[in-house]
Amino acid sequence: MEEEKIEYFFQYESIIPEFEKFIAALKTPQPYWIRVNTIKMEEKELIERLESKGFKFERFKELNAYKILNMPVKHPGATLEHSLGYYYVQDLSSMAPVLALEPKEGEKILDMAAAPGSKTTMIAEIMRNKGTIVANDISFSRLRSLGGNIERLGITNVILTRRDARKDSFGAKFDKILIDAPCSGEGVVRKNPWGFKPAGEREHRYLREQQIRMLKNAQKHIKEGGIIVYSTCTFHPLENESVVEFGIEKWGLRALEFKLPIPHLKGVEEWNGEKYENHKFHKRIYPHMVDTGGMFIAVLQKR
Amino acid sequence: MQFSKKDEYRKYFVERFGVPPEIMDRYHFYERGKKVWAFTGEIVEIENIEALGIRALSLGRGIKPSTAFLRIIGKYATKNIIVLEEKEAEAYMRGEDIEKDFPVKPGYIIVRSRNDILGCGLYKGKLINQIPKKYRMMDTWV
Repeated sequence: MEEEKIEYFFQYESIIPEFEKFIAALKTPQPYWIRVNTIKMEEKELIERLESKGFKFERFKELNAYKILNMPVKHPGATLEHSLGYYYVQDLSSMAPVLALEPKEGEKILDMAAAPGSKTTMIAEIMRNKGTIVANDISFSRLRSLGGNIERLGITNVILTRRDARKDSFGAKFDKILIDAPCSGEGVVRKNPWGFKPAGEREHRYLREQQIRMLKNAQKHIKEGGIIVYSTCTFHPLENESVVEFGIEKWGLRALEFKLPIPHLKGVEEWNGEKYENHKFHKRIYPHMVDTGGMFIAVLQKR
Repeated sequence: MQFSKKDEYRKYFVERFGVPPEIMDRYHFYERGKKVWAFTGEIVEIENIEALGIRALSLGRGIKPSTAFLRIIGKYATKNIIVLEEKEAEAYMRGEDIEKDFPVKPGYIIVRSRNDILGCGLYKGKLINQIPKKYRMMDTWV
C-alpha cells in the first residue's frame, strides 16, 4: 500500500492499541475466509472435499469460519463447489454483526443495506430458511449481486427490496434490524488497497448524517424490545460511536452488552473532545487481532 | 407488477420429478410476469419488491424449472433425473451437451452427479445444456 494511504491511518494512533502491529497488518494482504453454507452441505464434508483439491484451511475456534492458508486457484470462488452454493467467501470480521444479531428461526428481520449479501445469507443460514428476512439495498446493480448470491446459496426466505433505508417505509415492525451502514470503508483497505480512497473530515460528517438517518428509520421499524445491530467496516468514531450515541440520546435506545466469540476491543471513549458514555458496550475488531478486516459493532434495544 | 400467489405450481414438481407433496408444501409460489418464485417466508406489504425467495420457474411456451430451485429440491426427486459420470459432469458444468441416451421422459430433467445436483437439463434424445452461464465452470477452476 502507498505510504500516503498508510499515513492516513496515523490519525488513529491514540485510539488503536498496539498501533505498530495495526500498521504492520495494513501493509500485508488480507487472507480469505470462507463460511460453509450448511443449508446445502455439512461443514466437515465440504472442507474435506476442498482439501482434496489442494486447499488448506484453519478453522477459527468452533465457528463456521475457515481461513484459507493455501489454495490451488487464484480466487477462492473458482471452484465447482462455489458455483453449487456450498460456501461463501466472507471475512471473519464480517460475520461479527450477524453473531451479535443472534438470528433465530421464525423471526422477522430487516437488513437495511444488504448487498452483496454476505450477512443476509448468513442470517438465512442460521435461520434455516425459516422466518422472514427483508433484504434491502438502494442500488439496482448491487441488488443484482445480492439476488445472485441468494439464488446461488439456495436462500428462500428473503424478500428483496429496493428502498431508501434513510426514509422509506418497510411496511412492518421487525424483531431485529441490521444496519451494516455504508461507510468510509477503512476496515476493508487490506482487501482492496488500490481502490481505497482516504476520506476527509467533511466526508466522515456526511456519512455520519446518512447513518443517523438510517438509524432513525430503523428505530421506527423495530418492535418494542427488539434489537438493532449497527455496524460499519470503518474505524472513524464519527461514523461509529458518535452515531450510536446520538441514537441513544435522541430516541431513547439502550446500548446492550453482547458476547462475541471473535477477539475484539471495546469502543472508543473519546474523540476530538467528544465523549462516548456507552463506549464499553460496543466492540471493535482490528486487522492485527486475528488477521481480518476491521469492524465496529453496537447492539441497541428499543425500550 | 404485482406478485400473485399460485401454489398450484407445487404440482409441477410433484408430477414431473416425483418430489413428495409434503416437501413442496414448504414453499409458496408467486407469479409475476413470466416468472414464478418459491418463497418460505411471510409476506410483508412493502413497495418495490424486487424478488420473493428464489426464481423457480419460467413461463413461456411451456414451464421451465430453474437450476437454482432444482438444486434445492433435487435431492428429494425420484424421477426424471439424469446421473452423470464424473467426466460427463465436468463437461456439463462447462456448458457442453451430452450426446447419449438416458432412460428419462423427454423434457426438462434434473442433472445429478454423485450427491451434487448440478441443475436443469433438457432431454431430447440427448442432454441439452441448461446451466446458466454464471454457474458454468471455467478452465482455471478446480
